[in-house]
Amino acid sequence: MNSDAQLKRFVPSPARKPKDSEMTVLRWIRSRCFNSVGNSILTLLVLGLVFYVLDYALNWAVFDAVWHASNRRECMDISPGGACWAGVIDWFNGLMYGRYPIEEQWRVNLGVVLAVAWLLPLSCRSLAHRSLMLVSWIALYPFLGAWLFLGGGFGAETGPFHAILTSLAAGFMAMCYVNWLLAMLKRPSLTDIIYPLVARFVARQTHIFSLLLVWLVFSGVAGGLLSQVALAPVAIERWGGLFLTLIIASFAITMSIPIGVLLALGRRSKLPVIHWLCLLIIELVRAVPLITVLFMAVTLLPIFLPSDMELNKLSQVLCAVCLFAGAYMAENIRGGLQAIPRGQYEAAQTLGLGYWMTMLLIILPQALRLMIPNIMTSFISILKDTTLVSIIGLFDIMLMARNIANDKNWIGLHTEPLAMISILFFVMCYGMSQYSINLEKRLKVDR
Amino acid sequence: MSQFNEARATVSEAASRPAIRIDGLNKWYGAHHVLRDVSLTIAEKEIMVVCGPSGSGKSTLIRCLNHLEEYQEGAIAVFGHELQRDQKTEKFIHQTMGMVFQNFNLFPHLTVLENCTLGLTWLRKKPEAEAREIAMTLLERVGIAQLANRFPGQLSGGQQQRVAISRSLAMDPKIMLFDEPTSALDPEMVKEVLDVMVNLAQTGMTMVCVTHEMQFARQVADRVVFMEDGEIVEVGPPEQVLLNPQWDRTKAFLDHIL
Repeated sequence: MNSDAQLKRFVPSPARKPKDSEMTVLRWIRSRCFNSVGNSILTLLVLGLVFYVLDYALNWAVFDAVWHASNRRECMDISPGGACWAGVIDWFNGLMYGRYPIEEQWRVNLGVVLAVAWLLPLSCRSLAHRSLMLVSWIALYPFLGAWLFLGGGFGAETGPFHAILTSLAAGFMAMCYVNWLLAMLKRPSLTDIIYPLVARFVARQTHIFSLLLVWLVFSGVAGGLLSQVALAPVAIERWGGLFLTLIIASFAITMSIPIGVLLALGRRSKLPVIHWLCLLIIELVRAVPLITVLFMAVTLLPIFLPSDMELNKLSQVLCAVCLFAGAYMAENIRGGLQAIPRGQYEAAQTLGLGYWMTMLLIILPQALRLMIPNIMTSFISILKDTTLVSIIGLFDIMLMARNIANDKNWIGLHTEPLAMISILFFVMCYGMSQYSINLEKRLKVDR
Repeated sequence: MSQFNEARATVSEAASRPAIRIDGLNKWYGAHHVLRDVSLTIAEKEIMVVCGPSGSGKSTLIRCLNHLEEYQEGAIAVFGHELQRDQKTEKFIHQTMGMVFQNFNLFPHLTVLENCTLGLTWLRKKPEAEAREIAMTLLERVGIAQLANRFPGQLSGGQQQRVAISRSLAMDPKIMLFDEPTSALDPEMVKEVLDVMVNLAQTGMTMVCVTHEMQFARQVADRVVFMEDGEIVEVGPPEQVLLNPQWDRTKAFLDHIL
């Protein structure tokens, strides 16, 4: 046996630089696109094709296009081979807001701004209660939005319950903003400020009680202020355009996750009744085209409901779209759940976590993360599928676009509105897809 | 080694109350009879090493102890509490016994610290600061406090297993079950995990370890159980079972492994 003194000392050999392989643009093109005769021909062919298509498309859409005209005939006279964007521009307001009264459209804009603003503090990662903000947005924003968009007296038409929820929503948002501001100024949040005061009366769960107290005070003030505001009523039938499309899509997207999670968990449940019920819903809804589900919602749902309960067409459609999106989402999520190793369940069980805690804290966060690409694909398809509601007569962006061709000034103008919608949808969907890639990168750290 | 055993001697004498009593345990996977009339009593503060060839039912045995597996016949009592299939028992089991798995089973979406504080904040309802303090003390004890904010995926196997041990200890169990804690580790990482287990043994924890680490068994175990085909072949102090086995099957296994 060697003693230590006899052992040779290991010295690692010095690291070498790789062979010079600096990639210049020219070298890259030559090595990738022109490295053989066949490849060169292919490259040239594709380049030619791209040039041909671009040339045609740009000429039609930009260089020969007509931007100002009062009707389609004028467009034709100015430039017969170009796009007649004048019609789309003329109808732009309709495409965005449907038949929403022009003087009230600021409410729609404000609603969208509020919806985005509510979520904005979420990007501040150091803020406490971030998940609460998202949950509150899903649970409360719809009431605030409904009040803003529907108008009428505060609680006069939709009932006192709606007025209370609207006040709670406004109060919550105001509270979040004040807390956000305080956090940015490195000051203690409102909850922390009144914490000692509340602690004098409540010994347990003091934090939650202080939060509730601040929220209620804010809601009271918000309710008082809002009740002074009188908005002109706007009937749901007048909602339309991109506004309506976004309402349906965002509703379906946000609801699809909780519905999908419940259906997926139900399908994996060991309780036979729940298992079979969820299985039935998922398989039934997935096996039927969306149009059928929509028609059924509009024609069949009123029959099942008690006769004194009347739902408007939009609510019926929202129910149908949510169910449809939820059933698809359930299968996505089930796929994610199956990818989680059994050891995770066992580890959670040995710690003593019950079913719901295991799911909410351990399994679902991992499963959803794993399924981000699939979930985002579902979101995108939900957004695009909402255009189907035009078939049952909701004036969403698709129906508004088709209406342009029926306008006596722009009779037969089909291509340009559809092109415009395609561009709009591409921008929205591409944005979502980029966001999901971003999200995946950010969450990949821990894998 | 001898010094260690002296320190433990007082522990063994104090250990008279049975921590776990297994009575005629039988388990089948379909028609496959995996546990056959297993009876065993483990005293409080005793360190029991279970060894045997793969498929001998040793993992199944300790998984039955904390109800990760069902069993068809027999009874298990923990600190005199007869285990039933009900919510109350499940709660009791998880409060009394911690478990360390072969594949660590850390929660990959949580940091090392969050892995350890999860049970404290959500089950024991401890305030966040207190939970963090407890977890950091434990992480320091296993020598990875500096990695508290890393994610499990960024750690080596040995480090992950040490986190897993801290995670179990954070819940303050009376009994620790180890299911082949070093089998998934590279050889050079086995020692760091065994060191932690040896330290834990010195604190007077009741431990049941399924392991192939015979050195560990000789050094720490009060008794060694040798299992084969779902049956207990031999039980006794390590010197007896490991150095002077009574049964040919034990001897054949030991010749193989040592």
